[in-house]
Amino acid sequence: MDLEWSAADLAFRDEVRAFLDERLTPDLRRAGRLMTSVYADHEASMRWQAILHERGWAAPAWPVEYGGCDWTVTQHYLFSRESILAGAPPLSPMGISMVAHVLIEFGTPEQKEFFLPRILTGEVFFCQGYSEPEAGSDLAALSMTAEADGDDLVCTGSKIWTTHAGEANWMFCLVRTSRAAKKQQGITFLLIDMSSPGIEVRPLVMTSGEQIQNQEFFDHVRVPKANVVGEIDDGWTVAKYLLEFERGGSAAAPKLQIMADEVARAAAGQPGPDGRPLLESPAFAAKLADARIRIDVLEVLEFRVLSAAAGGRNPGTASSMLKILGTELSQTLTELLLEAAGPRGRAYQPHATRPGGPLAGFAPPADGYVSGEEWQAVAPLRYFNDRAGTIYAGSNEIQRNILAKAALGL
Amino acid sequence: MDFSLTAEQQLLRDSLADWLADRYDLARSREAAASEAGWQPEVWRAFADDLGILGATLPEEVGGSGGGPVEAMVIAEQLGRALVVEPYVDTVVLGGGVLRRLPGAGDVLKGVVAGSVRIAPGLLEPTSGHTAHSVATTARRDGGDWVLTGAKAVVPGVPQATHLLLTARTSGEQRDLDGISIFLLPVELPGLQVHRYRTIDDRHAADLVLDDVQVPADALLGEEGRGWTALAPALDEALAALTAEAVGCMRTVLADTVAYSKERRQFGQPIGSFQALQHRMVDMHLEVEQSVAAMYLATLRLGAEPAERARATSAAKVTVSRAARFVGQNAVQLHGGMGMTQELAIGHYFKRLTAIEYELGPADHHRSRYASLTPKPRSAERGED
Repeated sequence: MDLEWSAADLAFRDEVRAFLDERLTPDLRRAGRLMTSVYADHEASMRWQAILHERGWAAPAWPVEYGGCDWTVTQHYLFSRESILAGAPPLSPMGISMVAHVLIEFGTPEQKEFFLPRILTGEVFFCQGYSEPEAGSDLAALSMTAEADGDDLVCTGSKIWTTHAGEANWMFCLVRTSRAAKKQQGITFLLIDMSSPGIEVRPLVMTSGEQIQNQEFFDHVRVPKANVVGEIDDGWTVAKYLLEFERGGSAAAPKLQIMADEVARAAAGQPGPDGRPLLESPAFAAKLADARIRIDVLEVLEFRVLSAAAGGRNPGTASSMLKILGTELSQTLTELLLEAAGPRGRAYQPHATRPGGPLAGFAPPADGYVSGEEWQAVAPLRYFNDRAGTIYAGSNEIQRNILAKAALGL
Repeated sequence: MDFSLTAEQQLLRDSLADWLADRYDLARSREAAASEAGWQPEVWRAFADDLGILGATLPEEVGGSGGGPVEAMVIAEQLGRALVVEPYVDTVVLGGGVLRRLPGAGDVLKGVVAGSVRIAPGLLEPTSGHTAHSVATTARRDGGDWVLTGAKAVVPGVPQATHLLLTARTSGEQRDLDGISIFLLPVELPGLQVHRYRTIDDRHAADLVLDDVQVPADALLGEEGRGWTALAPALDEALAALTAEAVGCMRTVLADTVAYSKERRQFGQPIGSFQALQHRMVDMHLEVEQSVAAMYLATLRLGAEPAERARATSAAKVTVSRAARFVGQNAVQLHGGMGMTQELAIGHYFKRLTAIEYELGPADHHRSRYASLTPKPRSAERGED
């Protein structure tokens, strides 16, 4: 029993570090550092994807034959960890980390041949159409219809909470192809070209003022049946497979460590209640220490999951547990950063940040003035956007339902 | 990165778990705790002779099996699971941990392995709080002897103990790390006043008053004034083992609570079917899982350099103190009125978890130690600037 990396793992880590040192430009690091949500600035993220693709590292988790890397589970973890620690802007997960796995498992040869290489280059950029206005946590209640008409499915309905729908040229979504006794039946997994006639995208303005999420309206949109992944009416099987990739296995602790360091740096430069730096205020120091301790513990939990996966064992319910702990801890850290920002945390100045989407009705000052420092502008927006963490990918209440059943047998 | 036990460690865990399941009866241990003896000597004898756990972590030169932190973790977790009151962590992990770092304690350690010697560590004092290096008790030379003056508070394991392991200051101020000396004394000593009492978790402890107690020169172990160098690592080992004991306790408490929620029916259905209670039990489960991770963190960092070792054990203690409170309190809540009684095991476990919350320092104490050991941020921004 030990907590150490092997010599081979350390050698791999050094190789990754050397690559990041060389290729991660100051501008890209800056884009990562000034992120206001889990989504990087689109342009920066795509630029980084191109650099990774050049090295063959854009989609390391894919099978080698499709352009992935022949890495061990530990190497995947170390790559993810080092990228985060170096401040790389994260790649959009919808294509590379989500729908690609579904295509590899269920796709036709034509679908694989068309989509996979284009996802790697960024030519195809996916958004996800799962939730609907009346189907959120109860996803299987979805009602967007797809009626067969010759070689096409004709789609009518609405999708919501779609990240980057404005930037995406393709959507993977769940549609209802038949009504059965059980609501999980009659669902189909479908790929829709976003330039198809009859699609309207309405950006949603989030509390941060950013348009990251969208609602789409589909009015008799014709989609070739060739774009169905898996079998018609059997989309729930496909969706459940994809959820495994959405929920976990990644490295949350390194990102949280960076956030804690940012809080410490911020609090070291701000006055606390007694005039000494806020970081030396016992109350603030205790809150930060508590968060750091929870991160240390979460990291060991991630190591355990990693170790189980590397040994070929099923990590079981760990992904639900890591999702709950990671997102709640992240929210705590956004609270601490906002507290450290002091009075300037109330200033709304997204022009000093790198938001995840366009800004609604905001004109930056002509002289580019920023009250305080950039991190003080980031703090409130990150706080608002991070509320999403406990809602998306199966709300934390849904995760607790899953754990009650799967971990406790209730 | 490896979280698996060796075959020997699995055997140790399984044989101890089986023995405790067969032989360690909760009701009988409570009766013993309420008695004058305060424990079951035959249990301790079995620990030494049948199970060999008393020497599992002690060196082979003194008859031990030379195991390390993982063995201590495995043992303490099983003892916690069965709510064993016999003070393994205090006398073997802490007491033995100090002694094995000091010269001249070989014979005493042989006795620990054999079960004939039991050590009561007297570190805390009326004015120390939970800070072990806050030592106001003094030792001064008197010819060839030492004279000890002061008081010790809540010294664990006194009625069972054969020896006292006391700290006394031979130089410096009350909270200095230098100037602390360690004395090993028999429990019967002229001039030593012992006030025994039970603790809230059915264990035993005592306050000691040392009123110019005269002890021979060889009662001093190790170098005069350098006792902290042996105490600090042993205290971290005790923290790791206590974390493991807490994990054992909490595993039992959570399993009992989940089982009870499936049996107890109200409004025509098992109370475990209510979402409010399901989510509460999931939160208990999350606390237990974090405690398990904290236990690994503390145990596997005991060999690291001192600051990292201390940070890891403090992180672990903060985690289990928080978890012990949450899991204990909610186990009582979900058991309803029965949880308030001593009729079910849950009440006894709750008492032990409450004691563990504070033992070797509560969460705030360790949060503060952790914060003081965390490097200050560099003033420059990361890499890019």
